[in-house]
Amino acid sequence: MSTLVLDNGAYFAKIGYSHEKVSVIPNCQFRSKTSRLKTFTANQLDEIKDPSGLFYILPFQKGYLVNWDVQRKVWDHLFGKEMFKVDFADTSIVITEPYFTFSSIQESMNEILFEEYQFQSVLRINAGSLSAHRYFHENNAELCCIVVDSGFSSTHIVPHCRGRKMKEGICRINVGGKLLTNHLKEIISYRLKGEDNTVMREYVLPDFSSIKKGFCKPREEMNFTGKYKTGEQILRLTNERFAVPEMLFHPSDIGIQEMGIPEALVNSINNMPEEMQPHFYKNIVLTGGNALFPGYRDRVYKEVRALAPVEYQVSVALPQNPVCYPWEGGKLLAENPDFEEMVVTREDYEENGHYVCEEKFDI
Amino acid sequence: MSSCSSHSDDLSSVRSQDPNQRRVLDSATRQRRLTRQLEALEKDNFQDDPHASLPQLVKRLPQFDESNESGKRRKKTRGDHFKQRFRKNFQTLLEEEDLSVSEGPNYLTAFAEPSKFPQRHFCAVCGFPSNYTCVSCGARYCCVRCLGTHHETRCLKWTV
Repeated sequence: MSTLVLDNGAYFAKIGYSHEKVSVIPNCQFRSKTSRLKTFTANQLDEIKDPSGLFYILPFQKGYLVNWDVQRKVWDHLFGKEMFKVDFADTSIVITEPYFTFSSIQESMNEILFEEYQFQSVLRINAGSLSAHRYFHENNAELCCIVVDSGFSSTHIVPHCRGRKMKEGICRINVGGKLLTNHLKEIISYRLKGEDNTVMREYVLPDFSSIKKGFCKPREEMNFTGKYKTGEQILRLTNERFAVPEMLFHPSDIGIQEMGIPEALVNSINNMPEEMQPHFYKNIVLTGGNALFPGYRDRVYKEVRALAPVEYQVSVALPQNPVCYPWEGGKLLAENPDFEEMVVTREDYEENGHYVCEEKFDI
Repeated sequence: MSSCSSHSDDLSSVRSQDPNQRRVLDSATRQRRLTRQLEALEKDNFQDDPHASLPQLVKRLPQFDESNESGKRRKKTRGDHFKQRFRKNFQTLLEEEDLSVSEGPNYLTAFAEPSKFPQRHFCAVCGFPSNYTCVSCGARYCCVRCLGTHHETRCLKWTV
C-alpha cells in the first residue's frame, strides 16, 4: 500500500510517492498561439515548440481551487500512465489545501478523490501543518513554531503549537509571486532607460531559438555604448531588482493597505497567549517559492528583531529547499505510525459522507 | 547655457498646459483608478485565449478511469452536473459561503490589517523615492524632468 504525497499549489504541484523523490510540475494547462488545436497539460510544457506567448489556464483563483475541469485534467495526467501510474485502490493520498477553504470546495474535493478517482484513503491537510511537522521532526525539543508560507497567490503566517495550528493567529497577506511578476511587468514596460548606478544590471531576454532561458549579465560584460552586435535583446534593471521583492515587506509601496511580512509576524504572535510568545519568536520557518529570493532570511530576521521585544530571542530558519519543504513533511507523515489514524478510508466516507471528513481533518 | 534654456523650455511647456486645458481628477476617481490597477495585478494572462475563436469542437467529457468508460449516457448527465457545480468563480463561492454569520476565525478575519507605518511613495517614472504629486492625475514624481516625461507619455492617457 503506497502513499502518494501531493502538495497541490497554485503554481507548482509537488508530487511523489513517499518512498521516492519529489517532482515539481506546473499545475496548469497551456495553450500556444502556434499549435492551435492542442492544449498542453502540466509538464508537457517542454513539448511546446514555440513557447513565446503562452496562455495559462490555472485552476486556482486567489489561492483557492475553483476550476475543477482544469484541475481534473492535470490530475488525470499526473495519475495516469505517463507519470505516476497510480493504482487507486491500493494507494492513499496526502493532499494539501489552502487555509480556510470553503466547505463547498472541500466537499467537491472529497467527491472527486473518493468517487471519481477512488483512492483507498485520503488525508487533506494544510501545507503549513506539513512544514511544521517536518520542523518538529528535526527540532524535537521545540513546542511551537510559526510558519511563513509565501507562495504564488498569497502569503500566510500560521502559528503552530504542539502539532495543531492556531486559527486565531492565521494572517493572510495578499501579496504573492503572481503579484510580484505582474508588477514587474508593468514597471519595466513604462520605465525609461535610467542613469547608470551600481545596482544596474542587464538581463538578456530569451528568444527561444538560441537562448532558451533569460539570464542576467555580470557587470563586467555590460556594454554601455551602442547596441549589441549579437542581436540579444537586453532589459536594463536598476531599482526594480529590489523594489519588487520589497513589496513582500511593504505592500503599501504599491497601494495595498496591508502589513508586510515582518509586521504581520509580530502582530500574529502578539495575538497568541503570553507564555507562548518567546517560543514563537525562536522558531520562525520560511517556506514557499518566494523564500528563494537572495537575502530574504536575513531581511526577515533584521526586521523582526527590530520589532520584537528585547528580552526574546529571535531565530529565523530557512530550509535548504523551501519549495519542497511541505512535501518532505508529508513524506515523513506518511511514514509516521499514527498515519493510519489520521486518514479517512473510502469505506468510512461511503458510510458517513462528508461529515466524517469534516470531523477528522483539521482544516 | 544651452541646458539652462532647455530647462526653461521644459518649464514653459509645463506651464502652457495650465489648469484650463488639463482636467484634474478628484480623489474618488483617483481611488477608482488605483483599485483598478491593483485588480489588474491579479490577472493570469494578458492576451486572449488562442483557442477562443475556434469553432467549438464536441467537448470531450471528463476522463474517468477505464472502468467507467462504458455508459456514455450516464457520463453526459454527470458531466453537466459537474459543469454547474465545478465552474463557479471565486466571488460566487465566497458569497455562497456567507462567512459573516459564521463564528470563529475564517477567510475574512484572516486578512492582514493596514500597516502601522506610513506609506512610502515612489516616482512613477524612475522608481526612486518621490516627494511630489502630479496635479492632474495624482501620480508621484521625484523631479521636474520626470514630471515632464510623465506629462508627455502617461498623464491621463488611458483608463485602466
